[in-house]
Amino acid sequence: MARTKLSDDRDLTEEQRLFKESLLEWAERNMPLDRVIKMNREGHPYPRELIKGLADLGVIMGTVPEERGGMGLTWKDQALIAEIIGYIDPSIATAAGFMAVETGWGFTIDRHANDEIRKKYVQPAIRGDKFIGIATTEPGGGSDVANFKCTGEKDGDEWVLNGEKTFISGVEEAKQIGGGYWVNVRTGEKVPGAAHKNMTAFFVPIDSEGLTPTEPYDDAGRNSISTGGFIMEDVRVPEEYMLGEKDKGFYYTMEGFDNARILIGASAVGVTRRILEEAADYIKEREVFGSPLAKYEGIQFEFVERYTEMEASRLMVNKVADMQDTRYDEEGWAERSGKAKTYSPTEIAKWISMIKYKVPHLAKDTADDAMHWLGAAGYSSEYIFETAWRGVMSYCVGAEGGANIQKIVIGRETLGKDYVPYK
Amino acid sequence: MDEETGTIIREGVPSVLNAFDEFALNLAVELKNEVEEDVEIVALSMGPPQAKEALNKCLAIGADRAVLLTDMVFAGADTWATSVTLSRAIKNIGKTDIVFMGQEASDGNTAQVGPEVAAHMGIPQLTFVTEVESVNNSHVVAKKETDEGFVRIKCETPVMIACMPTPGFEPRIPNIREIMKAKKKEYQEWSHEDLGGDPSEYGLDGSESVVIKTYSPPPKGEGIIVDDEPEVAVKKLMDFFEDEGIL
Amino acid sequence: MIEIHEDKCIGCEKCLKTCPVDALKMKEGVAKVDEGLCISCSACIPACPVDAIEPILKASKAASADYSGVWVFAEQHDDRCRPTGPELLGKGRELADELGEELCAVLLGSDVGKLSDELIAYGAEKVYVVDDKILENYTTEAYTTALVTLISKYKPSVFIFGATHLGRDLAPSVAGRMGLGLTADCTGLSITEVEDVKVLLQTRPAFGGNVMADIVCPNTRPQMATVRPHVMQPLEPDPERDGEVIQEHVKISPESIKTEILEIMEHEDSGEISVEEADVVVTGGRGAGGEEGFKMLRELAKALGGTVGCSRPIVEEGMMSKSHQVGQSGKTISPELYIVCGVSGAVQHRVGVRGSKYIIAINKDPKAPIFDMADFGIVGDASKMIPMLIEKVKEKTC
Repeated sequence: MARTKLSDDRDLTEEQRLFKESLLEWAERNMPLDRVIKMNREGHPYPRELIKGLADLGVIMGTVPEERGGMGLTWKDQALIAEIIGYIDPSIATAAGFMAVETGWGFTIDRHANDEIRKKYVQPAIRGDKFIGIATTEPGGGSDVANFKCTGEKDGDEWVLNGEKTFISGVEEAKQIGGGYWVNVRTGEKVPGAAHKNMTAFFVPIDSEGLTPTEPYDDAGRNSISTGGFIMEDVRVPEEYMLGEKDKGFYYTMEGFDNARILIGASAVGVTRRILEEAADYIKEREVFGSPLAKYEGIQFEFVERYTEMEASRLMVNKVADMQDTRYDEEGWAERSGKAKTYSPTEIAKWISMIKYKVPHLAKDTADDAMHWLGAAGYSSEYIFETAWRGVMSYCVGAEGGANIQKIVIGRETLGKDYVPYK
Repeated sequence: MDEETGTIIREGVPSVLNAFDEFALNLAVELKNEVEEDVEIVALSMGPPQAKEALNKCLAIGADRAVLLTDMVFAGADTWATSVTLSRAIKNIGKTDIVFMGQEASDGNTAQVGPEVAAHMGIPQLTFVTEVESVNNSHVVAKKETDEGFVRIKCETPVMIACMPTPGFEPRIPNIREIMKAKKKEYQEWSHEDLGGDPSEYGLDGSESVVIKTYSPPPKGEGIIVDDEPEVAVKKLMDFFEDEGIL
Repeated sequence: MIEIHEDKCIGCEKCLKTCPVDALKMKEGVAKVDEGLCISCSACIPACPVDAIEPILKASKAASADYSGVWVFAEQHDDRCRPTGPELLGKGRELADELGEELCAVLLGSDVGKLSDELIAYGAEKVYVVDDKILENYTTEAYTTALVTLISKYKPSVFIFGATHLGRDLAPSVAGRMGLGLTADCTGLSITEVEDVKVLLQTRPAFGGNVMADIVCPNTRPQMATVRPHVMQPLEPDPERDGEVIQEHVKISPESIKTEILEIMEHEDSGEISVEEADVVVTGGRGAGGEEGFKMLRELAKALGGTVGCSRPIVEEGMMSKSHQVGQSGKTISPELYIVCGVSGAVQHRVGVRGSKYIIAINKDPKAPIFDMADFGIVGDASKMIPMLIEKVKEKTC
């Protein structure tokens, strides 16, 4: 029996269709579902040859301009790529490491870094030879980003950094193949009532003296990529390794979160679609009480509801990707086809928050439903559903911004600033 | 732009790139990477406008240029008319060292167009080629499958090579960079007017073999299917053998 | 027809030697072709060092009344007739009877005359033999020149070839040069009437076997077809049958040949019957139980007096060589008894075996498509069924 297909490629451009073909063919050869399950069972670090394979395919940091090693792709293109990555790896580990972190944050690093960092770290990361990531979260605050405690002090033409970062993706991978992190530190007296004000961003190479990785966590899911952290004890970085301008770190961080979240939203669409397709194949075949599961309304209606939500999510992601393209178009960063409307950053932030809270939850709920349809089989790691459920939970509870924080952002943009619960 | 060694040309099929043609293109691209001189690969196809997609893929895989022969006049062609069309197009394209083709197409499966194109061009042919070992200004050395095994054969260029993929062949996956580059490569569409000659030489009118009927193959009669323990199942099979007089 | 670009001709006269019908002559220092004699064999083209000769191929519009004779191309290798000749003669006899024409075989090679007797035994009324050292190993150019010359001289109405690698290389080369309609890989041939003229009806599968097509070549003669091997049945060989052997000499010069064979690598003749020739074939696929499973299949094949075949994935994994591969991209076979284990029966496999007389399938999956074409099917685990079957077969045959 032919496998269920739940995608409509009519809206894709010729190139996008070819991207999709190439990615799916690569996945069939290198990362079929049983390998995804195996990788999650065996845990991090993420296999080196797959990092290289993904890079050779060209999926990492495609939105970086061509003249700096990227491909000058639109966010629409990159969102499609992220969707397929989510489809290929429903544990969302690959999207976590290589879409959210390396592409979303990596692109942002490239925007604010000097040429040396671009040459030594960003471009090799695009080629799969290094890993670059983001370190904002600390033991004292993740959602409360402004309440950060890491410090940076100027000493001659260097900055000395101290503090601990936690729940950081990819540290083990970066340690293995080389790379570095965007690290936020406080570079002045904490301003009362405006704790975000003196945040400065630095690029810190992973092999810097004084930087010690901490023990990786034993996470519920997305185990093929590491979640760990590091401690900085008088880590020295040259002045030129400051990303952008001093004290502007918070704003770059908001930008980085936006870029990562779009790709999370997109990949979660792919995860949901894969869950539905795999589940559909099962419920069409498996018979109980004389009929295939798919014939029972209780199951069929749930399936259909999730499918509808998935298509709705995809439309939202498309809209956000288009908005994102105008944002960067305005700032003249890369060539984009002309768009009629431009959006304010807060409007874009609202939409990004919508997809960031909605789609991972949809993926989780769909996996949950699928496990119910399959019963004991769904609970086992023979199928992808429990692996997917455990993986996408990370984006519901906190990774790249907890859902509840996203809702506050949306609340602010819909009900108004007066109703924001806290600063 | 024609270069020192001239052009390598490949023929494709409409809409979906057929596996044999894809293998042929892969061979051409591999060769291009090995050879020192400048080599141009032109992907050529005859088909409806949708065939553009398949040619796009050829450009992404590594062809430098693509030409689609598309015209209602070409429709309904048998292998004779197809080879007339293709050989004229190849003549238009320019000096050619190797014409790569897939050994057969996944719809017609005739495997005739290659040799017929060679005949029209007045060049030698190598069929069932699984590997091209080397190429220079005057010769190719290739490995081809025969009814008894294989031969390694040397042939003067220009030559038509019909390729057959070996088991386990995995075609190159064009990466995103290559797909984006393909957008900038030259793509042309030609009609029968670009080729010259009379419309009656092409398509259905120009065909020498005519399909008079198509139909579904006669269904095989219902067989006996058993789902039993091995002892019982095998006994039933032995009974079947006995009834039919097998053994 | 050919065209000689006189401005390019350097008068070296190399082309003259290659023409089997002496249609080329020098005039005023350049080569000229006698259009009345030229048979379009293209033998002269490769010989020209300055590429001054170009083919001008036109579809041959023949008056069918001028053509008569059903010709069969008989392949030979290693001093033996290959099965295609006898198979085609079997069908050819039917066609010749219906048309009221002669059935002839064409045999090319070096020192092959002795094989004509076998061809006559299999039904050929005449055997045209071209015996020449230059034909010892197959080359497209030499064989094409020989056939084009014979066809032009004798004008058969039908010429059929086996759809072997050789046939599929040679037939389109001949058809291309002579402007003939050619139908490939036919599974059926018969005679039908089109506008009161008896013509060859060529039947072949298309789209992977999902559709059958009936084809005719109304205007060109001879009507050419390549025929799928092991589909047609040879006649019972009759050594008493009478027939005529006609030795033909065709001028074929080395200058017309542009290929050089560097190395011949033939499959080892393991003494095993090939899958194409065996009466019983036992095939295993992915579900056959790996090395262990294939050991059992070999035993079963031996007990039945047959040979082992396999599906494509088995060859890709390196477990068996390609000569055992059965299916569209492997060998097409039509044994008396075909037993297939652990093969789901994708269309490509089915197309290769549908000519088998009895098909027995064993597969764990009751929905496997292979069961659609099986005369007898067992839903179950081959590794349990086969040992039992071997026992029972041995009991019966010992």
